[in-house]
Amino acid sequence: MTIQELVEGRIDFKGQKTADDIVRVVLISSTFLSFVIGFVFSSLMITMSTFALCTVALSLVVLPPWPMFNRHPVTWSSVQGHSQK
Amino acid sequence: MHSIYARVNNASALWSTCVMVLLGAVALSSFLFNADPKGDLGIVSLKVYHSKTRRYPFKNEEIGFVKFNLSADLTPLFNWNTKQLFVYLEAEYASAQGVNNTVVIWDRIVRSKEDATIDVVQKDKYRLRDLSGSFSNVLAGQYSLKYNVMPYVGVLSYGEAARTSEPIEFPAARDSVS
Repeated sequence: MTIQELVEGRIDFKGQKTADDIVRVVLISSTFLSFVIGFVFSSLMITMSTFALCTVALSLVVLPPWPMFNRHPVTWSSVQGHSQK
Repeated sequence: MHSIYARVNNASALWSTCVMVLLGAVALSSFLFNADPKGDLGIVSLKVYHSKTRRYPFKNEEIGFVKFNLSADLTPLFNWNTKQLFVYLEAEYASAQGVNNTVVIWDRIVRSKEDATIDVVQKDKYRLRDLSGSFSNVLAGQYSLKYNVMPYVGVLSYGEAARTSEPIEFPAARDSVS
């Protein structure tokens, strides 16, 4: 991939839907999980560090244009003759 | 979501909402912890002396010197959301005209559960003086130990941990021994 393609990180439409789902599920469940874990161990430090770890893991999964997000590229129909004016 | 920038934009919007909800939940969890520790406070001695005011050395005023015996166990106040405790000893008295006064004469910042037991016989840290400059028009006063719980996230809360059992009269002012 060229540098421009890497920096842009384009993924196809099905991949975008997958990425959106992953973001929503991971963020909401990590909020809940880090509150519960911190409350059980009675330490605010544990809450904040589990949340931070989940954020870092999420950004590693969702931000780069991994091949799994590019499995369903758009199929363009073939070139047809010019329509007569 | 078509580019990295778009995914960052989208994810950070939900992320900031999640952070706010998490911190709000931590702040609300403080209301689950209702500790009400009590201790003992006794006044060993209370003396009133003539002295010069701090700012104007030509003016006279009366200063009270308090020695107190204080023991309190404030460890129940430390939950996961407690950052520190501000503990202070107040002298409360009313003037003869009926005006109530409270003067903070000693305080301490408690930063961890291990430091939360207080067992001291000490003298006051700050001057006990009346605004009028004299204790002659003043009724007997009570002394109380109050605390302020400072959370990491959330609302401040206040409480009283100890109080003298009966009011203590202010003695007549005397000259200090020089």
